[in-house]
Amino acid sequence: MSQTAIEKVLSRISGRPKLQAGDVVNPVPDLIMIHDGVVKSSKVMLDKIGIRKLSSPEKVMMVSDHDVLYGSAKAAERGSFNRQAAKDWGVGQFYDVGQGGHGHIFPMEEGQVLPGMFYFDNDTHATNAGAVGAFGIRLGLEISTVLATGSTWFEVPKTVRICIKGQLRERVLARDIGFFLAKLIKLGAIPVNLDNRVLEYCGETQQFSLGERVALCSSPTEMRAVGIFIPPSQQILKYCQTHAKKSFEAVYSDTDAAFESEHELNISQLGPQVVKPGAVSNSVDVSEAEGVKIDHAFIGSCGSGMYDDLLNAASVLKGRRVANGVRLFIVPGSQKSMNRLVQEGLMQIFLDAGALVLPPGCGPCNDAVVGPLAAQECSISTATNSNAGRFGSREAKLYLGSPLTVAASATTGQITDPRTMDVDAQLIERAKVAYD
Amino acid sequence: MIDFNWILRGRCYLLGDDVPHADGVIPQQFIIDRETDPQVLAPHLFALTDPDFVKRCKPGDIVVAGRNFGVGQKSTGYIAMQALGLGLLCESIPTQGYRGAIHAGLRLLANCSGVTQVCQNGDELEVNFVTGLLINHSQAKTHEYVPMPAALQEIVAQGGGEAWLKTWALEHVASSSSKKV
Repeated sequence: MSQTAIEKVLSRISGRPKLQAGDVVNPVPDLIMIHDGVVKSSKVMLDKIGIRKLSSPEKVMMVSDHDVLYGSAKAAERGSFNRQAAKDWGVGQFYDVGQGGHGHIFPMEEGQVLPGMFYFDNDTHATNAGAVGAFGIRLGLEISTVLATGSTWFEVPKTVRICIKGQLRERVLARDIGFFLAKLIKLGAIPVNLDNRVLEYCGETQQFSLGERVALCSSPTEMRAVGIFIPPSQQILKYCQTHAKKSFEAVYSDTDAAFESEHELNISQLGPQVVKPGAVSNSVDVSEAEGVKIDHAFIGSCGSGMYDDLLNAASVLKGRRVANGVRLFIVPGSQKSMNRLVQEGLMQIFLDAGALVLPPGCGPCNDAVVGPLAAQECSISTATNSNAGRFGSREAKLYLGSPLTVAASATTGQITDPRTMDVDAQLIERAKVAYD
Repeated sequence: MIDFNWILRGRCYLLGDDVPHADGVIPQQFIIDRETDPQVLAPHLFALTDPDFVKRCKPGDIVVAGRNFGVGQKSTGYIAMQALGLGLLCESIPTQGYRGAIHAGLRLLANCSGVTQVCQNGDELEVNFVTGLLINHSQAKTHEYVPMPAALQEIVAQGGGEAWLKTWALEHVASSSSKKV
């Protein structure tokens, strides 16, 4: 019988072969991920009720990405607590600060999250796993239930298909697609409700590299998709096979599976987008936001933390300086990328430009534990959303753009169309093959 | 059989559509701080939109909301609602919010189509959260909504996710440090 990708994956791990959307299952995940922000509340609660042993500690990956620098004494205490918790629980993989990097970036780079996998995570942007055709599902505080018992209830979601038509134009990036899609959904131009749905990209997806696939996951997740799925191309399969830490089997939706709806998204005329303050669906063509003065810029987050994002940023920053009065934070998504950008000369470009390179993690995107904004300030970044207060002051104004748009804006001091600047063509080309 | 009160009776607190979780249900700072203590959160329910609410409300009161209640994928405010003994009826709620509300042990009915049209603020309501029956005593009308699945009712009846886990631990954990009552 025909199934969507999520139906197939859940059938595999729940042992119920004919699952369809709407069925409720208790999937036993391939992996359980938890980040530094919620370890303490989970451990305190489980200890209090007498659950000191986890159901499957070997499956647990504890990452430290939300507060890497310990922006306060309280954070340092929490870090200490987390290290002890990892020991007490005997977690299979513990990444302390400075190790691994962002939980929604490095596991895919390192072959730990692979096509066809299903895992539970406390965090919303586990959906990045769709970049390799895997499913990472957010549970929030309920991650404790999975840590303790091995599973929890989960309703098989419906799948909505977005069919990509056309190719990206020069200087337009995958992140721009997500911003544009969010707007179309908000306006009803694409009449879908993504809440509790898997958004599956289809059509001309072969063009998208691993980094671009990660970028495609970000905004639909903000629009409440419970999962994202991009069918792995040969290029993706090859990358995963080269790095895989264990065997995997990619899944693909059957062509005649029951999708809730299908919609075409033509990207051939798409220009750079800018998201205005308030919500990721408030996106406009960059021409409508040009000239807005900025104080703060940031390239990174789980939406744009891949190595190609750094190469794109470097293509603009090479030979230029961050404008006076602007501070630009660059946050690679992984230790691997951090090492690479030193080896490949990007670090020098960033330093010469006057950018502030932070250790891998969420950076300012996590409620400004680093790099906050003051009340009257304005920022453009590759964060996941532009909601008021995300970078500290609720009066500050947050804009979003692609790494090219943000880098360009950082050098001029105002929101700038990246097509109006010369960029280093070689770095742009290297970005396209960053994960080959 | 668990002794759990599935029927709430109290006053309707009517809200509209798209009430954001951050600041609309509970101040954003508690979400940022990842606060989970009911004693800390309860005094701040609806603090930014109706600071006197917590002084006026009584256990059994029912929050009746429109579409997209609690939009923002958080669940902090539901801990506060449950601590205050409130129930929730809404026309729709994001799935992550629904999960969070159940985990907090909140009695709720979601997908109550048109419920904001059949209740006025202050109406005396009685809701049976197992059967989905709403009695509006002030308007002498009844309405039926689809209750949550039995498996989720079990979690709420236990007192939410943490309490459910505690019961699970008593059954499954060989040497539990908690006393059996």
